[in-house]
Amino acid sequence: MITLNSVSVSFELPNGDRRPVLENVSMNVDRSEMTYLIGPTGSGKSTILRLLYMDLLPDDGVAEIGDYRSDLIETNEIPYLRRSIGVVFQDFQLLPDRSAYDNVAFALYATGKKQKEVRSRTLKALARVGLSHKRSNYPHELSGGEQQRVVIARAIANDPWVLLADEPTGNLDPVVADEIQELLLGLHRQGMTLLMATHDYRLVKEFPARTLALMNGQIVEIDPATL
Amino acid sequence: MLVPYSVREGLANFRRAKFAAFASTSAITVALILIGVFAVVGYEAQEVTSMLREQAGEMEVFIQDDASEREQDALHARIETMPGVARTDYISHQEAAEIFRREFGEEAALFEDPTFLPASVKVWVEPPYANPDSMAALSRSFGQWQNVDEVVFNRDLLARVARNRRIVLFVGAALGAIVLLTAVFLVANTIRLTIYARRLLIRTMKLVGATDAFVRRPFLVEGILQGTIGGAIAAAAVWGGYRLFMQQMNQPVEPWEVQLSLVGGLIGAGILLGWLGSYFAARRFIQSVELH
Repeated sequence: MITLNSVSVSFELPNGDRRPVLENVSMNVDRSEMTYLIGPTGSGKSTILRLLYMDLLPDDGVAEIGDYRSDLIETNEIPYLRRSIGVVFQDFQLLPDRSAYDNVAFALYATGKKQKEVRSRTLKALARVGLSHKRSNYPHELSGGEQQRVVIARAIANDPWVLLADEPTGNLDPVVADEIQELLLGLHRQGMTLLMATHDYRLVKEFPARTLALMNGQIVEIDPATL
Repeated sequence: MLVPYSVREGLANFRRAKFAAFASTSAITVALILIGVFAVVGYEAQEVTSMLREQAGEMEVFIQDDASEREQDALHARIETMPGVARTDYISHQEAAEIFRREFGEEAALFEDPTFLPASVKVWVEPPYANPDSMAALSRSFGQWQNVDEVVFNRDLLARVARNRRIVLFVGAALGAIVLLTAVFLVANTIRLTIYARRLLIRTMKLVGATDAFVRRPFLVEGILQGTIGGAIAAAAVWGGYRLFMQQMNQPVEPWEVQLSLVGGLIGAGILLGWLGSYFAARRFIQSVELH
Protein backbone atom coordinates (compact mmCIF):
# COMPACT_ATOMS: atom_id res chain seq x y z
CA MET A 1 0.00 0.00 0.00
CA ILE A 2 1.27 3.48 -0.93
CA THR A 3 -0.24 6.50 0.79
CA LEU A 4 0.39 10.20 0.79
CA ASN A 5 -1.54 11.91 3.57
CA SER A 6 -1.81 15.72 3.37
CA VAL A 7 1.77 16.00 2.15
CA SER A 8 3.40 19.35 1.48
CA VAL A 9 6.83 19.86 0.01
CA SER A 10 8.67 23.05 -0.86
CA PHE A 11 12.18 23.73 -2.09
CA GLU A 12 14.43 26.58 -1.10
CA LEU A 13 15.32 28.95 -3.90
CA PRO A 14 18.79 30.54 -4.21
CA ASN A 15 17.37 33.85 -2.86
CA GLY A 16 16.20 32.07 0.30
CA ASP A 17 12.49 32.01 -0.58
CA ARG A 18 10.65 28.68 -0.63
CA ARG A 19 8.77 27.45 -3.69
CA PRO A 20 5.92 25.07 -2.88
CA VAL A 21 5.87 21.97 -5.11
CA LEU A 22 3.17 19.93 -3.40
CA GLU A 23 0.52 21.42 -1.16
CA ASN A 24 -1.58 19.24 1.09
CA VAL A 25 -1.54 16.35 -1.38
CA SER A 26 -3.14 13.00 -0.60
CA MET A 27 -3.22 9.85 -2.71
CA ASN A 28 -3.49 6.14 -2.35
CA VAL A 29 -2.24 3.17 -4.40
CA ASP A 30 -3.30 -0.33 -3.41
CA ARG A 31 -1.07 -3.38 -3.61
CA SER A 32 -0.93 -4.97 -7.09
CA GLU A 33 -2.47 -1.85 -8.60
CA MET A 34 -1.08 -0.07 -11.62
CA THR A 35 -1.21 3.71 -11.51
CA TYR A 36 0.05 6.45 -13.78
CA LEU A 37 1.15 9.74 -12.34
CA ILE A 38 0.94 12.33 -15.08
CA GLY A 39 1.59 16.02 -15.35
CA PRO A 40 3.84 18.48 -17.14
CA THR A 41 7.55 18.72 -16.40
CA GLY A 42 8.12 20.37 -13.03
CA SER A 43 4.66 19.52 -11.73
CA GLY A 44 6.03 17.37 -8.88
CA LYS A 45 5.83 13.80 -10.24
CA SER A 46 9.46 13.03 -9.43
CA THR A 47 9.04 14.70 -6.05
CA ILE A 48 6.28 12.24 -5.18
CA LEU A 49 8.48 9.29 -6.16
CA ARG A 50 11.38 10.75 -4.15
CA LEU A 51 9.08 10.96 -1.16
CA LEU A 52 8.29 7.28 -1.58
CA TYR A 53 11.87 6.05 -1.76
CA MET A 54 12.61 8.58 0.98
CA ASP A 55 15.26 10.56 -0.82
CA LEU A 56 13.17 13.48 0.41
CA LEU A 57 11.00 13.89 3.50
CA PRO A 58 7.83 16.03 3.45
CA ASP A 59 7.62 19.41 5.19
CA ASP A 60 4.16 18.37 6.38
CA GLY A 61 2.04 15.24 6.24
CA VAL A 62 3.08 11.61 5.95
CA ALA A 63 4.33 9.49 3.05
CA GLU A 64 3.87 5.77 3.57
CA ILE A 65 5.10 2.85 1.49
CA GLY A 66 4.69 -0.71 2.70
CA ASP A 67 5.73 -0.85 6.32
CA TYR A 68 7.66 2.42 6.22
CA ARG A 69 6.35 5.87 7.20
CA SER A 70 8.22 9.11 6.60
CA ASP A 71 7.43 10.41 10.08
CA LEU A 72 8.72 7.29 11.85
CA ILE A 73 11.57 6.05 9.68
CA GLU A 74 15.12 6.24 11.03
CA THR A 75 17.97 7.11 8.66
CA ASN A 76 19.50 3.67 9.05
CA GLU A 77 16.21 2.02 7.99
CA ILE A 78 16.09 3.76 4.60
CA PRO A 79 18.39 1.22 2.86
CA TYR A 80 16.04 -1.57 3.99
CA LEU A 81 13.04 0.30 2.59
CA ARG A 82 14.83 0.61 -0.75
CA ARG A 83 15.60 -3.10 -0.82
CA SER A 84 11.88 -3.82 -0.66
CA ILE A 85 11.06 -1.64 -3.68
CA GLY A 86 12.36 -1.19 -7.22
CA VAL A 87 13.14 2.16 -8.83
CA VAL A 88 13.60 2.91 -12.55
CA PHE A 89 14.67 6.24 -14.04
CA GLN A 90 14.58 7.57 -17.59
CA ASP A 91 18.36 8.04 -17.63
CA PHE A 92 19.45 4.46 -17.34
CA GLN A 93 22.31 5.09 -14.94
CA LEU A 94 24.01 1.80 -15.68
CA LEU A 95 27.61 1.39 -14.59
CA PRO A 96 29.46 1.63 -17.93
CA ASP A 97 32.40 -0.51 -16.87
CA ARG A 98 30.32 -3.60 -16.06
CA SER A 99 28.39 -6.08 -18.17
CA ALA A 100 24.60 -6.36 -18.04
CA TYR A 101 25.00 -9.33 -15.70
CA ASP A 102 27.36 -7.44 -13.40
CA ASN A 103 25.09 -4.39 -13.33
CA VAL A 104 22.25 -6.53 -12.01
CA ALA A 105 24.42 -8.71 -9.76
CA PHE A 106 26.02 -5.64 -8.27
CA ALA A 107 22.66 -4.46 -6.92
CA LEU A 108 22.19 -7.80 -5.18
CA TYR A 109 25.69 -7.87 -3.74
CA ALA A 110 25.10 -4.36 -2.47
CA THR A 111 22.26 -5.69 -0.35
CA GLY A 112 24.45 -8.41 1.13
CA LYS A 113 23.20 -11.41 -0.88
CA LYS A 114 25.45 -14.46 -1.18
CA GLN A 115 27.15 -15.32 -4.45
CA LYS A 116 25.00 -18.36 -5.24
CA GLU A 117 21.78 -16.47 -4.65
CA VAL A 118 23.08 -13.49 -6.60
CA ARG A 119 23.74 -15.70 -9.61
CA SER A 120 20.34 -17.34 -9.67
CA ARG A 121 18.43 -14.08 -9.04
CA THR A 122 20.43 -12.19 -11.66
CA LEU A 123 19.87 -14.80 -14.34
CA LYS A 124 16.18 -14.94 -13.46
CA ALA A 125 15.80 -11.15 -13.62
CA LEU A 126 17.60 -10.96 -16.96
CA ALA A 127 15.35 -13.73 -18.29
CA ARG A 128 12.24 -11.84 -17.15
CA VAL A 129 13.25 -8.80 -19.21
CA GLY A 130 14.29 -10.98 -22.16
CA LEU A 131 18.00 -10.22 -22.05
CA SER A 132 19.58 -13.52 -21.05
CA HIS A 133 21.41 -13.69 -24.36
CA LYS A 134 23.04 -10.29 -23.83
CA ARG A 135 24.13 -10.71 -20.25
CA SER A 136 27.81 -10.36 -21.14
CA ASN A 137 27.33 -7.16 -23.14
CA TYR A 138 28.45 -3.84 -21.77
CA PRO A 139 25.99 -0.88 -21.72
CA HIS A 140 27.60 0.78 -24.76
CA GLU A 141 26.97 -2.42 -26.71
CA LEU A 142 23.24 -2.31 -25.92
CA SER A 143 20.47 -0.21 -27.49
CA GLY A 144 18.51 2.29 -25.40
CA GLY A 145 15.64 -0.16 -24.97
CA GLU A 146 17.99 -2.93 -23.95
CA GLN A 147 19.71 -0.68 -21.45
CA GLN A 148 16.35 0.18 -19.92
CA ARG A 149 15.60 -3.55 -19.71
CA VAL A 150 18.83 -4.04 -17.74
CA VAL A 151 17.74 -1.22 -15.41
CA ILE A 152 14.36 -2.92 -14.94
CA ALA A 153 16.11 -6.25 -14.32
CA ARG A 154 18.24 -4.54 -11.69
CA ALA A 155 15.13 -3.03 -10.10
CA ILE A 156 13.23 -6.32 -9.94
CA ALA A 157 16.15 -8.62 -9.06
CA ASN A 158 15.35 -8.27 -5.38
CA ASP A 159 11.70 -9.31 -5.97
CA PRO A 160 10.23 -5.97 -4.87
CA TRP A 161 6.50 -5.73 -4.27
CA VAL A 162 6.38 -2.34 -5.97
CA LEU A 163 8.13 -0.69 -8.89
CA LEU A 164 8.44 3.10 -8.93
CA ALA A 165 9.17 4.22 -12.48
CA ASP A 166 10.13 7.83 -13.19
CA GLU A 167 9.61 8.48 -16.92
CA PRO A 168 10.99 5.04 -17.85
CA THR A 169 10.30 5.60 -21.53
CA GLY A 170 11.31 9.24 -21.64
CA ASN A 171 14.53 8.63 -23.59
CA LEU A 172 13.14 6.01 -25.96
CA ASP A 173 11.52 6.17 -29.37
CA PRO A 174 7.80 5.22 -29.50
CA VAL A 175 8.33 1.64 -30.72
CA VAL A 176 10.88 0.82 -28.03
CA ALA A 177 8.82 2.76 -25.48
CA ASP A 178 5.88 0.47 -26.25
CA GLU A 179 8.10 -2.60 -25.74
CA ILE A 180 9.24 -1.34 -22.36
CA GLN A 181 5.65 -0.49 -21.43
CA GLU A 182 4.60 -4.05 -22.40
CA LEU A 183 7.37 -5.36 -20.17
CA LEU A 184 6.24 -3.25 -17.23
CA LEU A 185 2.63 -4.30 -17.76
CA GLY A 186 3.76 -7.93 -17.82
CA LEU A 187 5.41 -7.45 -14.42
CA HIS A 188 2.24 -5.82 -13.12
CA ARG A 189 0.14 -8.72 -14.40
CA GLN A 190 2.38 -11.03 -12.34
CA GLY A 191 1.28 -9.10 -9.22
CA MET A 192 3.73 -6.26 -8.94
CA THR A 193 2.41 -2.85 -7.86
CA LEU A 194 3.41 -0.24 -10.42
CA LEU A 195 3.50 3.52 -9.95
CA MET A 196 4.73 5.18 -13.10
CA ALA A 197 5.36 8.90 -13.55
CA THR A 198 5.12 9.99 -17.16
CA HIS A 199 4.23 12.91 -19.37
CA ASP A 200 3.78 10.64 -22.39
CA TYR A 201 -0.03 10.82 -22.73
CA ARG A 202 0.07 8.63 -25.84
CA LEU A 203 1.39 5.78 -23.75
CA VAL A 204 -1.27 6.32 -21.07
CA LYS A 205 -4.02 6.19 -23.70
CA GLU A 206 -2.55 3.17 -25.41
CA PHE A 207 -2.08 1.19 -22.18
CA PRO A 208 -4.84 2.58 -19.98
CA ALA A 209 -4.81 2.22 -16.20
CA ARG A 210 -5.74 4.29 -13.18
CA THR A 211 -4.39 7.80 -13.83
CA LEU A 212 -3.60 10.52 -11.31
CA ALA A 213 -2.85 13.97 -12.69
CA LEU A 214 -0.76 16.55 -10.88
CA MET A 215 -2.06 20.05 -11.45
CA ASN A 216 -1.02 23.16 -9.53
CA GLY A 217 0.39 21.11 -6.70
CA GLN A 218 -2.80 19.04 -6.34
CA ILE A 219 -3.67 15.49 -7.42
CA VAL A 220 -6.79 14.76 -9.43
CA GLU A 221 -7.90 11.35 -10.67
CA ILE A 222 -8.79 11.45 -14.36
CA ASP A 223 -10.06 9.14 -17.06
CA PRO A 224 -7.14 8.34 -19.45
CA ALA A 225 -9.54 8.34 -22.36
CA THR A 226 -10.04 12.08 -21.90
CA LEU A 227 -6.37 12.84 -22.49
CA MET B 1 30.48 -12.91 2.15
CA LEU B 2 30.22 -9.14 2.77
CA VAL B 3 33.92 -8.58 3.40
CA PRO B 4 35.20 -10.62 0.46
CA TYR B 5 32.77 -8.78 -1.84
CA SER B 6 34.03 -5.43 -0.59
CA VAL B 7 37.61 -6.57 -1.06
CA ARG B 8 36.86 -7.93 -4.53
CA GLU B 9 35.05 -4.76 -5.49
CA GLY B 10 37.79 -2.56 -4.06
CA LEU B 11 40.44 -4.42 -6.02
CA ALA B 12 38.30 -4.39 -9.16
CA ASN B 13 37.72 -0.62 -8.81
CA PHE B 14 41.49 -0.21 -8.69
CA ARG B 15 41.71 -2.03 -12.00
CA ARG B 16 38.64 -0.41 -13.58
CA ALA B 17 39.45 3.19 -12.75
CA LYS B 18 43.13 3.06 -13.64
CA PHE B 19 43.60 6.79 -14.00
CA ALA B 20 41.90 7.57 -10.69
CA ALA B 21 43.96 4.88 -8.97
CA PHE B 22 47.12 6.23 -10.57
CA ALA B 23 46.27 9.80 -9.52
CA SER B 24 45.55 8.87 -5.91
CA THR B 25 48.57 6.58 -5.62
CA SER B 26 50.82 9.27 -7.11
CA ALA B 27 49.45 11.88 -4.70
CA ILE B 28 50.11 9.57 -1.76
CA THR B 29 53.60 8.77 -3.06
CA VAL B 30 54.52 12.44 -3.51
CA ALA B 31 53.06 13.35 -0.12
CA LEU B 32 54.96 10.55 1.59
CA ILE B 33 58.23 11.39 -0.15
CA LEU B 34 57.82 14.93 1.21
CA ILE B 35 57.12 13.58 4.69
CA GLY B 36 59.88 10.97 4.41
CA VAL B 37 62.54 13.44 3.30
CA PHE B 38 61.49 15.77 6.07
CA ALA B 39 61.58 12.94 8.61
CA VAL B 40 65.11 11.93 7.55
CA VAL B 41 66.39 15.52 7.61
CA GLY B 42 64.65 16.06 10.95
CA TYR B 43 66.13 12.89 12.38
CA GLU B 44 69.64 13.75 11.28
CA ALA B 45 69.23 17.30 12.64
CA GLN B 46 68.07 15.80 15.92
CA GLU B 47 71.13 13.56 16.01
CA VAL B 48 73.46 16.50 15.37
CA THR B 49 71.68 18.52 18.07
CA SER B 50 72.00 15.65 20.53
CA MET B 51 75.69 15.34 19.74
CA LEU B 52 76.18 19.07 20.26
CA ARG B 53 74.25 18.95 23.52
CA GLU B 54 76.30 16.02 24.70
CA GLN B 55 79.48 17.89 23.89
CA ALA B 56 78.23 21.05 25.55
CA GLY B 57 76.91 19.12 28.53
CA GLU B 58 80.41 18.45 29.80
CA MET B 59 81.45 19.32 33.36
CA GLU B 60 84.66 18.84 35.23
CA VAL B 61 84.71 18.14 38.97
CA PHE B 62 88.14 18.91 40.39
CA ILE B 63 89.21 16.86 43.41
CA GLN B 64 91.00 18.37 46.37
CA ASP B 65 94.71 17.54 46.45
CA ASP B 66 94.58 16.04 49.92
CA ALA B 67 91.88 13.44 49.00
CA SER B 68 93.14 9.90 49.37
CA GLU B 69 92.91 7.40 46.54
CA ARG B 70 89.98 5.68 48.27
CA GLU B 71 88.16 8.96 48.71
CA GLN B 72 88.73 9.81 45.07
CA ASP B 73 87.32 6.45 44.00
CA ALA B 74 84.31 6.92 46.29
CA LEU B 75 83.69 10.39 44.87
CA HIS B 76 83.93 9.09 41.34
CA ALA B 77 81.49 6.27 42.12
CA ARG B 78 79.06 8.69 43.77
CA ILE B 79 79.13 11.06 40.81
CA GLU B 80 78.34 8.17 38.48
CA THR B 81 75.15 7.37 40.38
CA MET B 82 73.75 10.91 40.18
CA PRO B 83 70.58 11.19 38.07
CA GLY B 84 71.28 12.89 34.76
CA VAL B 85 74.87 11.71 34.54
CA ALA B 86 75.42 9.81 31.30
CA ARG B 87 79.06 8.84 31.73
CA THR B 88 82.17 9.88 33.61
CA ASP B 89 85.88 9.67 33.22
CA TYR B 90 88.42 9.86 36.04
CA ILE B 91 91.50 11.90 35.18
CA SER B 92 94.47 11.47 37.50
CA HIS B 93 97.27 14.02 38.07
CA GLN B 94 99.43 12.26 35.51
CA GLU B 95 96.71 12.07 32.89
CA ALA B 96 95.87 15.73 33.44
CA ALA B 97 99.52 16.60 32.90
CA GLU B 98 99.62 14.46 29.79
CA ILE B 99 96.59 16.23 28.36
CA PHE B 100 98.15 19.56 29.26
CA ARG B 101 101.38 18.62 27.49
CA ARG B 102 99.46 17.46 24.47
CA GLU B 103 97.48 20.68 24.23
CA PHE B 104 100.23 23.14 25.01
CA GLY B 105 103.19 21.35 23.41
CA GLU B 106 106.59 22.77 24.16
CA GLU B 107 105.21 25.50 26.38
CA ALA B 108 104.07 22.85 28.82
CA ALA B 109 107.71 22.20 29.74
CA LEU B 110 107.71 25.48 31.64
CA PHE B 111 105.80 23.65 34.33
CA GLU B 112 108.23 21.22 35.82
CA ASP B 113 105.97 19.62 38.40
CA PRO B 114 103.82 17.08 36.63
CA THR B 115 101.39 16.93 39.58
CA PHE B 116 100.53 20.62 39.79
CA LEU B 117 97.29 19.88 37.94
CA PRO B 118 94.54 18.46 40.14
CA ALA B 119 92.87 15.12 39.54
CA SER B 120 89.32 15.43 38.29
CA VAL B 121 86.22 13.57 37.20
CA LYS B 122 84.95 14.52 33.78
CA VAL B 123 81.15 14.26 33.65
CA TRP B 124 78.92 14.10 30.57
CA VAL B 125 75.26 14.61 31.31
CA GLU B 126 72.30 13.10 29.46
CA PRO B 127 70.97 15.37 26.67
CA PRO B 128 67.87 16.55 28.63
CA TYR B 129 70.17 17.80 31.42
CA ALA B 130 72.40 19.68 29.02
CA ASN B 131 70.94 23.10 29.76
CA PRO B 132 72.29 25.92 31.94
CA ASP B 133 69.78 25.45 34.80
CA SER B 134 70.20 21.68 35.21
CA MET B 135 73.95 21.90 34.88
CA ALA B 136 74.08 24.69 37.48
CA ALA B 137 71.97 22.62 39.89
CA LEU B 138 74.21 19.60 39.35
CA SER B 139 77.27 21.74 39.80
CA ARG B 140 75.91 23.12 43.10
CA SER B 141 75.27 19.60 44.36
CA PHE B 142 78.77 18.41 43.48
CA GLY B 143 80.28 21.58 44.97
CA GLN B 144 78.81 20.75 48.38
CA TRP B 145 80.34 17.31 48.52
CA GLN B 146 83.46 16.49 50.50
CA ASN B 147 86.78 16.40 48.65
CA VAL B 148 85.42 18.49 45.78
CA ASP B 149 87.57 21.51 45.08
CA GLU B 150 85.76 23.13 42.17
CA VAL B 151 83.20 22.36 39.50
CA VAL B 152 83.43 23.99 36.08
CA PHE B 153 81.32 23.88 32.94
CA ASN B 154 80.88 26.12 29.88
CA ARG B 155 77.71 28.02 30.73
CA ASP B 156 77.89 30.31 27.65
CA LEU B 157 78.21 27.43 25.21
CA LEU B 158 75.32 25.64 26.90
CA ALA B 159 73.11 28.71 26.68
CA ARG B 160 73.97 29.12 23.00
CA VAL B 161 73.24 25.47 22.21
CA ALA B 162 69.94 25.61 24.12
CA ARG B 163 68.89 28.78 22.27
CA ASN B 164 69.82 27.37 18.86
CA ARG B 165 68.07 24.11 19.69
CA ARG B 166 64.86 25.98 20.45
CA ILE B 167 65.08 27.81 17.13
CA VAL B 168 65.75 24.55 15.24
CA LEU B 169 62.86 22.82 17.02
CA PHE B 170 60.46 25.69 16.30
CA VAL B 171 61.42 25.98 12.63
CA GLY B 172 61.36 22.19 12.29
CA ALA B 173 57.91 21.90 13.85
CA ALA B 174 56.56 24.71 11.65
CA LEU B 175 58.04 23.19 8.49
CA GLY B 176 56.83 19.73 9.56
CA ALA B 177 53.31 21.02 10.06
CA ILE B 178 53.35 22.69 6.62
CA VAL B 179 54.67 19.53 4.95
CA LEU B 180 52.13 17.35 6.73
CA LEU B 181 49.20 19.66 5.97
CA THR B 182 50.24 19.95 2.32
CA ALA B 183 50.51 16.18 2.09
CA VAL B 184 47.14 15.53 3.70
CA PHE B 185 45.48 18.26 1.60
CA LEU B 186 46.96 16.88 -1.62
CA VAL B 187 45.89 13.32 -0.87
CA ALA B 188 42.43 14.26 0.43
CA ASN B 189 41.68 16.38 -2.62
CA THR B 190 42.90 13.82 -5.13
CA ILE B 191 40.92 11.03 -3.51
CA ARG B 192 37.88 13.31 -3.27
CA LEU B 193 38.06 14.02 -7.00
CA THR B 194 38.46 10.35 -7.90
CA ILE B 195 35.49 9.41 -5.73
CA TYR B 196 33.47 12.31 -7.11
CA ALA B 197 34.08 10.87 -10.57
CA ARG B 198 32.35 7.70 -9.38
CA ARG B 199 29.29 9.25 -7.78
CA LEU B 200 27.12 7.23 -10.18
CA LEU B 201 28.39 4.11 -8.46
CA ILE B 202 27.53 5.55 -5.06
CA ARG B 203 24.13 6.71 -6.28
CA THR B 204 23.29 3.28 -7.69
CA MET B 205 24.39 1.50 -4.55
CA LYS B 206 22.27 3.79 -2.41
CA LEU B 207 19.33 3.41 -4.74
CA VAL B 208 19.30 -0.37 -4.47
CA GLY B 209 19.47 -0.25 -0.69
CA ALA B 210 23.13 -0.57 0.22
CA THR B 211 23.91 0.77 3.67
CA ASP B 212 26.35 3.66 3.92
CA ALA B 213 28.96 1.38 5.50
CA PHE B 214 28.60 -1.07 2.62
CA VAL B 215 28.99 1.69 0.02
CA ARG B 216 32.06 2.97 1.83
CA ARG B 217 33.85 -0.35 2.26
CA PRO B 218 35.15 -0.90 -1.31
CA PHE B 219 36.45 2.68 -1.34
CA LEU B 220 38.31 1.99 1.89
CA VAL B 221 39.83 -1.20 0.46
CA GLU B 222 40.88 0.76 -2.60
CA GLY B 223 42.29 3.60 -0.47
CA ILE B 224 44.28 1.17 1.67
CA LEU B 225 45.65 -0.52 -1.44
CA GLN B 226 46.64 2.82 -2.96
CA GLY B 227 48.19 3.83 0.36
CA THR B 228 50.20 0.61 0.57
CA ILE B 229 51.54 0.97 -2.96
CA GLY B 230 52.21 4.71 -2.53
CA GLY B 231 53.88 4.06 0.82
CA ALA B 232 56.08 1.30 -0.60
CA ILE B 233 57.21 3.44 -3.55
CA ALA B 234 57.88 6.44 -1.29
CA ALA B 235 59.74 4.25 1.22
CA ALA B 236 61.91 2.80 -1.53
CA ALA B 237 62.63 6.27 -2.95
CA VAL B 238 63.42 7.92 0.38
CA TRP B 239 65.44 4.98 1.69
CA GLY B 240 67.39 4.61 -1.57
CA GLY B 241 67.95 8.36 -1.77
CA TYR B 242 69.11 8.50 1.83
CA ARG B 243 71.64 5.67 1.39
CA LEU B 244 72.93 7.14 -1.85
CA PHE B 245 73.28 10.58 -0.29
CA MET B 246 75.16 9.28 2.74
CA GLN B 247 77.39 7.23 0.48
CA GLN B 248 78.19 10.28 -1.64
CA MET B 249 78.88 12.34 1.48
CA ASN B 250 81.03 9.54 2.89
CA GLN B 251 78.95 9.44 6.03
CA PRO B 252 77.84 6.36 7.99
CA VAL B 253 74.17 5.43 7.61
CA GLU B 254 71.88 5.11 10.62
CA PRO B 255 71.49 1.64 12.15
CA TRP B 256 69.13 -0.89 10.54
CA GLU B 257 66.42 -0.39 13.18
CA VAL B 258 66.22 3.28 12.20
CA GLN B 259 66.11 2.46 8.49
CA LEU B 260 63.42 -0.18 9.08
CA SER B 261 61.40 2.31 11.12
CA LEU B 262 61.62 4.75 8.23
CA VAL B 263 60.44 2.19 5.67
CA GLY B 264 57.74 0.75 7.96
CA GLY B 265 56.65 4.19 9.05
CA LEU B 266 56.21 5.40 5.48
CA ILE B 267 54.23 2.32 4.44
CA GLY B 268 52.11 2.64 7.60
CA ALA B 269 51.57 6.34 6.94
CA GLY B 270 50.56 5.50 3.35
CA ILE B 271 47.95 3.03 4.57
CA LEU B 272 46.67 5.57 7.08
CA LEU B 273 46.54 8.35 4.48
CA GLY B 274 44.75 6.14 1.93
CA TRP B 275 42.28 4.93 4.51
CA LEU B 276 41.52 8.32 6.04
CA GLY B 277 41.37 10.06 2.66
CA SER B 278 38.92 7.49 1.27
CA TYR B 279 36.88 7.40 4.46
CA PHE B 280 36.23 11.13 4.57
CA ALA B 281 35.79 11.59 0.83
CA ALA B 282 33.41 8.63 0.52
CA ARG B 283 31.47 9.67 3.60
CA ARG B 284 30.99 13.14 2.21
CA PHE B 285 29.72 11.94 -1.15
CA ILE B 286 27.52 9.23 0.31
CA GLN B 287 25.77 11.92 2.32
CA SER B 288 25.52 14.47 -0.46
CA VAL B 289 24.81 12.37 -3.55
CA GLU B 290 21.23 12.78 -4.81
CA LEU B 291 19.32 9.83 -6.14
CA HIS B 292 16.91 11.49 -8.57
